[in-house]
Amino acid sequence: MRKLKCILTSKPFVTLCWIILLIVIWEIFASVVAQTKRTPENVMPHLSGIIESVFSDKKINGSQTVLEMVLENAAATLSRAGIGYLIGIVLGFVLALLMSLSGVIEKIAFPYLMLIQLIPILGMAPIINAITGDIAVSRIVIAAILTFYPVATNTIAGFKAIEPAKHELMYSYAANKFQIYTKTMIPFCIPYFFTGLKISAPMAITASILVDTLQGGIGLGCLLSQSLKGAMTRYVFWDIVFFSALIGILSFYLMGVIENLLCRYKRAGGSGKKE
Amino acid sequence: MKKTKLGRNRERIETIVYPVMFGILIMVLWQTGLLHKLLHTDDYILPYPDKIINIITDNSDKIMVNVWASVEVALCGLLLGSVIGYLIAIIASAFPTYGAGGLTIVSAFNAIPIVALAPVIINWTKDVSTVAEERSMVAKILVVTVTSMAAMSVNAYRGLTELPQFSDDLMKTYAAGRLTEFVKLRLPNSLPYIFTALRVSVPGSVIGALVSEYFAEYIIGVGRQIRENILIAQYATAWAYIIVACLIGILMYVLLMIVEAIFLRKRR
Repeated sequence: MRKLKCILTSKPFVTLCWIILLIVIWEIFASVVAQTKRTPENVMPHLSGIIESVFSDKKINGSQTVLEMVLENAAATLSRAGIGYLIGIVLGFVLALLMSLSGVIEKIAFPYLMLIQLIPILGMAPIINAITGDIAVSRIVIAAILTFYPVATNTIAGFKAIEPAKHELMYSYAANKFQIYTKTMIPFCIPYFFTGLKISAPMAITASILVDTLQGGIGLGCLLSQSLKGAMTRYVFWDIVFFSALIGILSFYLMGVIENLLCRYKRAGGSGKKE
Repeated sequence: MKKTKLGRNRERIETIVYPVMFGILIMVLWQTGLLHKLLHTDDYILPYPDKIINIITDNSDKIMVNVWASVEVALCGLLLGSVIGYLIAIIASAFPTYGAGGLTIVSAFNAIPIVALAPVIINWTKDVSTVAEERSMVAKILVVTVTSMAAMSVNAYRGLTELPQFSDDLMKTYAAGRLTEFVKLRLPNSLPYIFTALRVSVPGSVIGALVSEYFAEYIIGVGRQIRENILIAQYATAWAYIIVACLIGILMYVLLMIVEAIFLRKRR
């Protein structure tokens, strides 16, 4: 009996219950929609229909099935989001390092770091597209900007949160600046750094998809707007919606997994600051 | 003693002067065209600041209409999302085992790209009203609601459950009912957490409003105007809307800071 209660209240089981509940709610609404609407797949198709469309081998544009097409476009979108993400991570970390090394740079950059968070960068997507002139480049640039500031602000918060006792210890060891950074500062800020990564991973993907919608060519967002306009079956749209939702959530958890692999020794407490 | 005071004053002046100098440097580079050379662009795509300011002042009526449309969406969505998020947190804190699991689901919603969310919600709200303006409005507000709900529910849940040590024991010794405990202990305790959530969701709501405008049927709002003007190659006007969008984001945050300072005065 106690064992049963243990299973009933365990975390995976609770999450599973919630997911089942969500699916049930979706299906109830989908049934209602299917009764009342002429084209239910435009509003809310049954989940079975969506899954079926993913695995069907019907060619929709002459040469590709839905799955092939979505995956091909996703590869284009995600690779660019990934490049931008990596650039943003490096820039953000370097800036945080420079800020902690030099007071002048910190004073200059800090207010602008705060300011850039309040600016709707996604709203600026079209103009960045116009400046760079190339949709692939602008996707990378926007993903990089969106990644850069959460990483920078969280890393700098990590540098600041280090206890003075650690500095004093290093001082008593007569450690030089390089040693202080490699032995205490950088290892200490890693959990904060990963908080930044977790926040920005879904954002980089969002940015990349959004930029796709601005112009034709290849990419998830582009496919999404074509499907919305009725150029192909509406199930492509639903596949993309679920696919990008899944990727967004997975990217968040992937960062957590990498964090656990990298620093298994500090799972107690320090999960960093949520910005 | 005198020297340290001087030193602190110098520190304070530097904190303000350095960033301002940097800002002026950028503006000078921009106005003299050096920035254009750096970015390999021309003054047509990236107009000079004085031209942008002229456009803002000349078209202030039209811009204000769009600003109100966007701000209305952002604020309504923010309010609705925060209230729902807080209610979810209350329910979750009343049933901790299943509630916390539900919160995991809600925070997973946060990772869903707005780009995927906006068209779905616009689809669902087609029947709300026969007027395109109204149903677009509802759809946009709902998008912002979903995006700001997650931050609030997760943070408010922490505020409602992470109580000061022994305070709930104290409540029990007073034989306080659940309602009294909630009103006197949990609600005040969650107040700073509400503001933590708002710091995330206020800029988020502006972004949500702008992006959902891209997909909406009815063409209005700052975000949509940026896009529309670029489509017809009116870059200067698009920049004017970008500047306005930035100002909206900054002003809403400043307002939040003021409200926070008033509410949390006693705690600091």
